[in-house]
Amino acid sequence: MHHWHWLIVIYLFLGGLGAGAYLTSFAAEKGWLGKNSRLNRVGYYIAAPVVAFGTALLVLDLGQGLYKPWLLFRLLFNLGSVMTWGVYILSLFIIIGLIKGFLVWKNKTAPNWLTWAGAVFALATGAYTGLLIAVVKAVPFWNTFLMPVLFVVSALSTGLSVTALGAHFVEKNGNANATEGKVHLGLVIVEIVVVAIFFGMMAAGAKGPVGAASASLVMAGKYALVFWGYFIALGLLLPLVVFGLEYQRAKQAGHQVVTEPAASGSEVAVAAESGHHSYLVLVTDLAVLVGGFALRALVIFAALPIWDGKLL
Amino acid sequence: MNSAKKVSISRRSVLKAGAVATFVLATGITPTMVKADTAQDTPKNPNQIGFIYDQNKCINCKMCAKACNEANNWEEGTEWRRVIVGGKDNKHYLSYSCNHCENPACAQVCPVLAYKKRDKDGIVIHNREVCVGCKYCMYACPYHVPEFSPATGRINKCHFCYQRQDNGEKPACVSKCPTGALSFGVLSEIRKTPGATAQLEGMPSPDITKPSWVLIPKA
Repeated sequence: MHHWHWLIVIYLFLGGLGAGAYLTSFAAEKGWLGKNSRLNRVGYYIAAPVVAFGTALLVLDLGQGLYKPWLLFRLLFNLGSVMTWGVYILSLFIIIGLIKGFLVWKNKTAPNWLTWAGAVFALATGAYTGLLIAVVKAVPFWNTFLMPVLFVVSALSTGLSVTALGAHFVEKNGNANATEGKVHLGLVIVEIVVVAIFFGMMAAGAKGPVGAASASLVMAGKYALVFWGYFIALGLLLPLVVFGLEYQRAKQAGHQVVTEPAASGSEVAVAAESGHHSYLVLVTDLAVLVGGFALRALVIFAALPIWDGKLL
Repeated sequence: MNSAKKVSISRRSVLKAGAVATFVLATGITPTMVKADTAQDTPKNPNQIGFIYDQNKCINCKMCAKACNEANNWEEGTEWRRVIVGGKDNKHYLSYSCNHCENPACAQVCPVLAYKKRDKDGIVIHNREVCVGCKYCMYACPYHVPEFSPATGRINKCHFCYQRQDNGEKPACVSKCPTGALSFGVLSEIRKTPGATAQLEGMPSPDITKPSWVLIPKA
């Protein structure tokens, strides 16, 4: 009983990815990702195009997307529908994101309110993709407010990864810094906690037998390999280990700077600053993207309806 | 003293029995009554109409579904009315279509306002001319009523033959039912039918959408 398929999975993933990319560059611009983070531009470049591409896929998935596209104007009509909220949020985010990206590209200063408005709509975009399905009472697996929380955390994590990957190939100057790794480690830990609560709650039957059936479909059934392999191992545990070890190393290096300033303090500091930069980290960023995609696929495909259509 | 003690014990046991009885009522009987009650409440709209289906009378002839298709030309891939078979003996049937719910989840989620609930009689009408085919309602409806036609790229669903009703006719399905298993009426009236319920075992709780249907289950 799946009515939504891969196009919607990709759209949900890209919506989160673009939103997270914007917020990554926003955080870098505000100095929250360490001094001179080189993630302060790439996220702005890719955010709006990624979300716009996802939205285009969404339009293709509509029965009337190419047939009677003028009907799509009506998508703005039902202010009580979360999907309508999404149309407003996505449209505004794409517009603001394009302007901000263009200004950054031209090395022009964007008005502060515009940058902030973009961040607010980015957060709204990430939350919306989760809220869209969280309000569906007839699908117990979706019907929890942990869903938008999970989607936002995953959006931030995948956004940080895609921006780091982009910066590696695009930015000539600067290096990845240790703070970025530390922030990502924090996001991964939060996501693991949310995932544990969500699946624990579902499996325990907090959303009834159908919610538990969805959870077991994911954890022990048809989708177990995708769940444990792609989502948990690649998307969460690998980043936990890699970013965790990096954090450990950076902390020790920082400690050395304090205790042995006379030795080669500045060199160590540089090494620590550039610590979040290796092929292993790049592979890990890629793994985060795989995990984020797997999460969207699992959530859509494990959605069992509250009634299976059978007469007992 | 002894007798007084006895009296007090018996009084206590009476109280105990009362407490047990209250508990049993509260946990056992009351919830089912409450459950039925939430769906059996007086409808918000006193003119709300609904289908009433008697499982004892249905013979699985499917004339209702056939009549519906003839009257409404279902678009390819959609069934406005279905007759499903179940039960341990495979002799239990359920003919159902849209329940024209008091809180229609389809209408709540539809971004383009394709669904309208008529004030006149509470019929939920889907306007397929403005449907964009997003399929959100297919997830929202606990009864799987809205169906997508790949041929036309839009949703189809039962509209209670509202034009026929406006002309004083019965819905096509009801008019062709040979046994009287399927009928319709003003919801507040048909809910008074003995044995009436709004939920069959294993089916969604009527609390979700408050369906305007009345079922008389087979014993």
